[in-house]
Amino acid sequence: MQVVGIDVGGTNTDATLLSEDKRVLAMVKTPTDHSNILASTKAALNKILKLKNDAHPVQLHLSTTLSTNAIVEGKGDSTAVLALAGPGLNIADFGFNFSVYSIQGYVDHRGRIVKEIDREEILKIANQLRIDGTKSIAIVGKFSHRNNSLEIAVKELLETQGWFKVITLGHQLSGSPNFPRRIMSAYLNASVASIQANFVQMIEEIIKTNPIISDVKILKADGGTMGLKESCLRPIETILSGPAASIMAALALVETCADNAVVVDIGGTTTDIAVIVGGEPLYQRNGAVIGEYQTLVPALLTHSIGLGGDSEVHIEEHNIVLGPKRAGTAAALGGDSLTPTDAAIALGLVELGVKEKAIAVLKQRTKGKYDSWLKLAEAIIDAFAYQLSEAIHEMYQRLTKVPVYTVSEILAPKDIRPKKVIGLGAPATVFIPLVAKILNLPYQILPYSAGSNGIGAAAARPTLAISLHVDTEEESLIIPELAYREKIKRRLFFDRKQARRIAIEKLESYAEQMGLSDYGEIQIIEDEAFNVVRGFYTVGRIFSIKAQIRPAVWRVR
Amino acid sequence: MITAKHRVGLVFFPAFDWCISADHPEREERLLYTRDQIIEEGLLDIPGIVEYRPIVAEEKDIQRVHICVPSVAKRVSEPHRIAAGGTMLAADLVLDKKVERSFALLRPPGHHANRIVHGSRGFCTINNEAIMVEHIRHRLGPKVRIAIVDTDAHHADGTQDIFYNDPGVLHISLHQDGRTLYPGTGSFLERGGPASFGQTVNIPLPPGTGDEGMLYVTEQLVLPILAEWKPDLIINAAGQDNHYSDPLTNMEFSARGYAQLTDLLNPDIVVLEGGYSIEGALPYVNVGLILALAGLDYSHLKEPDWHPTRLKQSRQVTETIHEVVDQVWNLWENRKKANLQQIFGKDRFYTRHRQIFYDTDQIIEKQYERIRLCNECSGWRLIFSETNEGVGLSFKIAAIIVPWLSCNLCRREALSDFDKLTESKTLDYVYFQDNEQDLFLCK
Repeated sequence: MQVVGIDVGGTNTDATLLSEDKRVLAMVKTPTDHSNILASTKAALNKILKLKNDAHPVQLHLSTTLSTNAIVEGKGDSTAVLALAGPGLNIADFGFNFSVYSIQGYVDHRGRIVKEIDREEILKIANQLRIDGTKSIAIVGKFSHRNNSLEIAVKELLETQGWFKVITLGHQLSGSPNFPRRIMSAYLNASVASIQANFVQMIEEIIKTNPIISDVKILKADGGTMGLKESCLRPIETILSGPAASIMAALALVETCADNAVVVDIGGTTTDIAVIVGGEPLYQRNGAVIGEYQTLVPALLTHSIGLGGDSEVHIEEHNIVLGPKRAGTAAALGGDSLTPTDAAIALGLVELGVKEKAIAVLKQRTKGKYDSWLKLAEAIIDAFAYQLSEAIHEMYQRLTKVPVYTVSEILAPKDIRPKKVIGLGAPATVFIPLVAKILNLPYQILPYSAGSNGIGAAAARPTLAISLHVDTEEESLIIPELAYREKIKRRLFFDRKQARRIAIEKLESYAEQMGLSDYGEIQIIEDEAFNVVRGFYTVGRIFSIKAQIRPAVWRVR
Repeated sequence: MITAKHRVGLVFFPAFDWCISADHPEREERLLYTRDQIIEEGLLDIPGIVEYRPIVAEEKDIQRVHICVPSVAKRVSEPHRIAAGGTMLAADLVLDKKVERSFALLRPPGHHANRIVHGSRGFCTINNEAIMVEHIRHRLGPKVRIAIVDTDAHHADGTQDIFYNDPGVLHISLHQDGRTLYPGTGSFLERGGPASFGQTVNIPLPPGTGDEGMLYVTEQLVLPILAEWKPDLIINAAGQDNHYSDPLTNMEFSARGYAQLTDLLNPDIVVLEGGYSIEGALPYVNVGLILALAGLDYSHLKEPDWHPTRLKQSRQVTETIHEVVDQVWNLWENRKKANLQQIFGKDRFYTRHRQIFYDTDQIIEKQYERIRLCNECSGWRLIFSETNEGVGLSFKIAAIIVPWLSCNLCRREALSDFDKLTESKTLDYVYFQDNEQDLFLCK
């Protein structure tokens, strides 16, 4: 199947057409219209489909800033959270910038219901919310990933009234712990749900008029894709898909990707650093952070630093410091600021813009020991490489200190050290060789720097993950993401193998239900088994298993 | 936005792949539910609460405290080194001012481990707090004054043994009365050795002591003692087995009570000790401790099965507690008036014979100890130690210990005795420990 990947970025919208054997057939770039993401998507789609000279069907992969913008600009629906908090931290202390109502009812860490919900209380609060114009509701319980029944009971109660157009349940977004993050994720999800639903509706209309498009997938923060249906259920997963697309592009384009590597995407304002271990990108330990919201959304780990081709240049007595702010357009490209790009142009490292203008702006800023434009330009290039390599070094330092909870991980830590630097972005050709030299590593600069996000979007493949929690003493088995819960039979004979098997089967049938077919292998990424002991006797076992479709990309040539 | 008022370093290490044995209280999932609760509450996302990965203690760090027989390598497993290393890191975080307070929330525990280690007792092999104290002294020098307040329900007999003649350490242990609980020691009559008499403070509490009693003891006794002794650092060995749901003890503390206790003590470093109500107590107590250390509100915290009547302590228990507090305070106030010659004799040496039982490893150790009664320093020490035959290998050893700030005479005598002892044919090993010189010898 041919694929069209579209990444609606902050400035430009990139589109790439890949052939069936994943060669780049065409790439286009159009300016993004912030106020109309759909129009930007359509424009890019039409432009690239015009370049397509056959009638083979295509699959469309979309990465948009729709939810991200709605969240950052506060344009989501008016949403309130009903929190089944129980005892613990005072929810008011969190200072959420949205309405959170603590309601009766909670479960404990084993998923046992300690207190039931109070229907009257809920209806009273909900009625007031309705009167005040609240459109969407998020229902979030502490430990609801261990027992979702209270969240479901509240939802069913509200549905009988039909007051709200969207109801998001905390447990459906993630099987991971962290109540405040679950609250924030569910709040954001509920607030952007109708925006995503409208978008999906319009995309479906586009498909109707373009029979060549066989299927549409939406990009997620973890670099994978999901179907349209799922994107309506979990729109929050579409946040930050742009940065993920660039990392996926790196994975798609790099020659051998089975080893450890550091991916460096140098842009105009910022540089994003990502880490590849054994061919797979590292993920955020807890979930994506967007603005002031910490979520449970699985996201690729990227470290963004304020250093890029258009960074400010601060000339000090003994050294030069770049960034963290953007100076403006490079003098050589028609602006009036001195930027690292000017230094590169003046030194002839790149052929771009007007070299004389670059030299002129450098001459204006000569100072102290940087008494000629040449010395200044060279010092700026060196400072860029130094700052970037320091940032990479610090990121790895932090990663080696990430807490671990087993003796074996302390004694034999996983080797994450990079074996290669992979560079992306327009300034990569200038800076990556210098950075690699400082880090004493080989490097590779990827082709198609200009539209790599479109390639990443096109090459992405589906991801899906579920968390299985079995407590044999409680005779319970729960998969929160699927809102699945069953009472296990023959609890004394339930073992780890069985738990793993069920996790894999459930993931497979979920993938089928979501219309996924071309996905990669299924892998178990978390596997815990603990005894439950009463007195001095083992009375049960607890299994926690996370299964996922291995994040993968098509190799693009 | 919620932010910690005090920056807290959390060295969390649940050792999910280690146990003493499958059904033993000290097993893999001891901190499982605690992890679940801490993460679910979102504590680790709060700015100012920072999690750290433990370091591994080296042989040298352990030998500054322990005489491991026959060797550190033979007695100390990797999980113990990590727990000790994590505790040392907790101290470093505070000394380096990376955080205001730190909490080593890790296992295995250590407060029943004595200076001489033939095996494990009371689930402990090496003493995490003691290793940390020596680490601190190696960084700050011997003049630093360190108070250890042990709030585990069991008497901290190991920590008491290690510091019982150490003028630099004030050791206060609150525990369920030894007449009703392992290890049986911890009477208020155990008051320390000749060089630090009165600095071992035991506060045996009657079974049934609740939050009310514990807070009374803290306010009326522990805080005044600390205020008078003026430590540079306060370490809280925070066992969590005074909780009403603990299966091994008979006390009535609640999670909120523990948080209040932490608030009152205002410790610089907290180290987890025992506590085996792993589902009903630890998740809530540990959240309470972290909140209290961070200066955050813990008033909404309670165990699912907690009930206000829990606060009610029987009148008889309250009366007993008041008596204990009066007695211990009296001993503390008069500690300097005690007639040391009457207690420790007029000879050159004070000697004692002891038998120590290692419940976990089923070993009986016989000890003969001799401390020089010195006017210049706390006096060098000689310990002969011998284990029973039967389970495993048995050893007969001698250890010579030169104290911090030792006088020249004591150091000379200790060295010459070491030389003499190494010629003995009946001893398997002879050890020499001199912390000030950072010297450890084994022959």
